[in-house]
Amino acid sequence: MKVTVTFYSYFKDLTGCGQAEESVPEGGTLDDLFQRLAARFPKLAAMEKSTLMAVDVDYQPRSYVLKDGDEVSLFPPVQGG
Amino acid sequence: MKRQLTITKKAIDEASLLAGRAVSGGAGAVVYFTGVVRGTEKGAAIEAIEYEAFEKMAERQFGLLFDEMEKRWPVESVRLVHRVGVIKVSEASLWVEVVAAHRAEAFAACQWLIDEMKRVVPIWKKPLAG
Repeated sequence: MKVTVTFYSYFKDLTGCGQAEESVPEGGTLDDLFQRLAARFPKLAAMEKSTLMAVDVDYQPRSYVLKDGDEVSLFPPVQGG
Repeated sequence: MKRQLTITKKAIDEASLLAGRAVSGGAGAVVYFTGVVRGTEKGAAIEAIEYEAFEKMAERQFGLLFDEMEKRWPVESVRLVHRVGVIKVSEASLWVEVVAAHRAEAFAACQWLIDEMKRVVPIWKKPLAG
């Protein structure tokens, strides 16, 4: 299945794009997705521990099981204010 | 609890925000905070900060924070404005107002809201040098 991934803040610079599509197997988790993205965008791999992940508008743990068509966002720690 | 959230590219107009303040007869405290862009970032001079928001998620996360704030303190109203885009040094990036019956909960709720915003609301900043 395919999911759409949007990058925010300097993750756009690390990946060189604002958005990407990625395939994950049925039953794949956010962690599986991250590993695939890290292989595709090596600069992301170093950010693994500080990466925040959301599906639609809610944070989700790495164990979240993806569904076809999920809109995933990846970004560094937030800094509002 | 009344709540008002604005995420905007426009300059924060504090005068009109203050003019629009609504306080009931039961309120005894109004705490408001203005965050402005500092002229240095990690010791280096900057001219501005560019703020980026994942706006739809930011609205959702602010909503959850307001829900939690309401559970923790008897707050009458909260208004929060966060500016995004390029904001020059000394200009306001954040304005928060909390109205409550007593100062203890107004101060505590305002401080908590800003702390939590910095932890969960998807807004990022990029310093811009001169």
